[in-house]
Amino acid sequence: MSWFNIFKQSGILNMNRRNANVILRHNLRRFYPFVDDKLRTKKLLEEHGIPAPKLYFSIADNYDLKHIRQVEELKEFAVKPARGAAGRGILVLVDKENDKWKTAAGALLSMEDIIYHVENILSGLYSLGGVDDSAFLEYCIRTHNAFSRITYHGVPDIRVIVYRGIPLMSMLRLPTKKSGGKANLHQGAIGVGVDMVEGVTLGGVYRDRFIDTHPDTNAVVSGLQIPFWRHILEVAVKTFDVFKLGYFGVDFVIDASLGPLILELNARPGLSIQLANRNGIMPRLKLADKLLGDKKIMGPEQRMEVFHTISKKFD
Amino acid sequence: MNRTVFLLAVLLVMAAVNLTTVKLRYGDSTTHLKPNEQLWRVNLVMNLTGQGKAAKVRFTLPKDTERQFLYNEHFDDQGLNFYIRERSLTKNRIGFWRAELLESTKLVQYTFSCRLNKKSYAIPEGEKLPKDALKKYPPEFAVWLDSSRYIQADDKLIKAELKKIIGRKKEAAVVVRNIYDFIQGKVSYRSEKGSKDALKTLEKLTADCGGQARLFVALCRAAKIPSRIVGGLVIKKGVKNITHVWAESHIGGQWIPFDVVNKYYAFIPDNYLEFYRGDYSLFKHTGLSKFEYFFIINKTKVPPVDNPWSLYVLPVHFHNIIMVLLLLPVGTLVVSFFRNVIGISTLGTFSPVLLALAFREISLEMGLLSVTVIVLLGWLVRKILDGLKILLIPKLSVIITMVVILMLALMLIGFHFGTKSMLYISLFPIVIMSWIIERFTIIQIEDGVFTALRTMVGTTLVTVVAYYVMGISILQSYLFSFPEGLLIIMAVLLLLGRYTGMRFMELFRFKDLIFKRGKRS
Repeated sequence: MSWFNIFKQSGILNMNRRNANVILRHNLRRFYPFVDDKLRTKKLLEEHGIPAPKLYFSIADNYDLKHIRQVEELKEFAVKPARGAAGRGILVLVDKENDKWKTAAGALLSMEDIIYHVENILSGLYSLGGVDDSAFLEYCIRTHNAFSRITYHGVPDIRVIVYRGIPLMSMLRLPTKKSGGKANLHQGAIGVGVDMVEGVTLGGVYRDRFIDTHPDTNAVVSGLQIPFWRHILEVAVKTFDVFKLGYFGVDFVIDASLGPLILELNARPGLSIQLANRNGIMPRLKLADKLLGDKKIMGPEQRMEVFHTISKKFD
Repeated sequence: MNRTVFLLAVLLVMAAVNLTTVKLRYGDSTTHLKPNEQLWRVNLVMNLTGQGKAAKVRFTLPKDTERQFLYNEHFDDQGLNFYIRERSLTKNRIGFWRAELLESTKLVQYTFSCRLNKKSYAIPEGEKLPKDALKKYPPEFAVWLDSSRYIQADDKLIKAELKKIIGRKKEAAVVVRNIYDFIQGKVSYRSEKGSKDALKTLEKLTADCGGQARLFVALCRAAKIPSRIVGGLVIKKGVKNITHVWAESHIGGQWIPFDVVNKYYAFIPDNYLEFYRGDYSLFKHTGLSKFEYFFIINKTKVPPVDNPWSLYVLPVHFHNIIMVLLLLPVGTLVVSFFRNVIGISTLGTFSPVLLALAFREISLEMGLLSVTVIVLLGWLVRKILDGLKILLIPKLSVIITMVVILMLALMLIGFHFGTKSMLYISLFPIVIMSWIIERFTIIQIEDGVFTALRTMVGTTLVTVVAYYVMGISILQSYLFSFPEGLLIIMAVLLLLGRYTGMRFMELFRFKDLIFKRGKRS
């Protein structure tokens, strides 16, 4: 059946296969809490000396809400749910005018609005399965100059897929007007494939369709060198030893003054990265399995060598 | 891993098939079929058209006798209130369907399987007619000896006729034979609209089965032999709405059947199904503008499964709840298929199943309309509440209260203007509705109106499909008879759980990747 072969040859990892053959097989349930709870992720990253945005403080219950007054003097910060799903419930405040803060999308919020948002986070409005959650406030990233040519509002981030400790695919995620400053593809951000060897951007994808230019700025999205690329790859390889998940996505942001920081990890990374790279990930997964064999433990340096073998073949 | 799942699925299917086979071949002793015995499936369909007021229909349900055995009774009461009462004197089992308000047309159904045997009776000789019958028989026999409205046993003409027929004979067996021969010889059959009473039959000497049986009973009673009318159905494959009556007389301690019309003397054939005893009518109804009924009779496809552990032994008013339970896994199968093979996301994983179950009571169209109205109005309220900055749980509770108010309003509006079936909207899963509203709002805020509406359409689609799949009547009756069919559903679910192919919707999502792969600009 030639019709069927087209899909087979395309090498696409689909949702069912990702869930059944990749995630269920390689991600052990007991390691999930370390990535699902961003506060635990932060703590673990700190213990291993991997840089992440500075945590100001966390709010576990309504009593802790009184701490929020501490930020009255702060101009910019981000409010996040610890267990938010799919980028929901994130509030990024980038400026302060009189008594009100300005969000990345341009809206003005008072202290009461922010407190209400935190209360909603605490009661589990944005969490996986609607369970009670905690909120935290952290350092607000300033976009690195390298991206200013093609960004609209918000902070772009770099998603790297790590399979059995080897970075296999990567994309730059750019917020759009539609996504409201957020870098999640299903909320309307665009994804741009990244060459794994050089760290240079390729073509992009917006709402599941191929694009070459940013819909808001009309800037060409390809040919951009991502700064600190080698460093990003090395950190991605290292996170595998910390979090022990067989298949996950690491989200990096590049701060203008602090350099690459890990924003969060995702144990169920989306599939659109394949669209952004205009290639299915299946051949890479298969080659990685072939090169790694059944070997359970392999040092970061050895895995870096495997990475080079794979990326030379595909990029 | 794949093989293990497959093996497990095969094992489940085998277990289901085995359980079914065991039930069929080695069922309870009462259900074990002999090779040449026939089993019938009878489906009574009653078409009730209400007048917008209280309505009631009664029908005498058949019951087990020494020669007829019933299995797998199934009631589809269409939301009408159904209950069964047993009459203390006649032991007739009467089913009542009532509605406080019936306006539309309802198709109420009663289905059962039955095994019928023929039986011939020996009339004991030497049994004399009693001088004082009331002394000889227990008090409850009085009703089978007395004169009644259509069976005028103590009328002069009847008594005189009896004298002519039997003369001075005193032996019960001979008397009954003479009465039987008299009616058979003198009264000719004619189909009529409404049966004659005993006296009129004697006068005209033409009657249908009802008139002839009444005359037989009247003459027997006049001779002090306890006798009664028996009503039933002559079973024949096909559709019919003509019922039949015959007579029974108590001689020598047992009830013996006599059918003058079809010439069965002390004999009942294997196509006679008994419904009731006494001079009653099979149906009675009030508050209806139209009442139609017919029996659909077939050789059964569903074999008898009556045993102490069959679902049929549970009280009938629980059957509806059991049916809902049985259909729930069927609904989840539909949802799983749409999720993992088609790739349609819904508001809440299993909410389509619960909605579809609620739609079974009100119609599909009204259900969809109400859900749309409730979700959109609820969404508006939710928007307003957001501006007031209410905490999540109290906010959800306010939405639940709002949904309740909306439903009450819809019930009242439906009552005054539209259809009264709207009253069944109260069966809507209210809490689920409030979650649907909440999810809808969050998706709308976070992912945009388009995504929210698309998810709503997806929910509707899955609900409609689940509604129709769960409505398949063969599926319902088989699952009720063989609940082990749930194991097969489980097997299919397991296999679905190992389906790692493309979801249908992903073909669109990855369209560019499939056809323009690797092209770089």
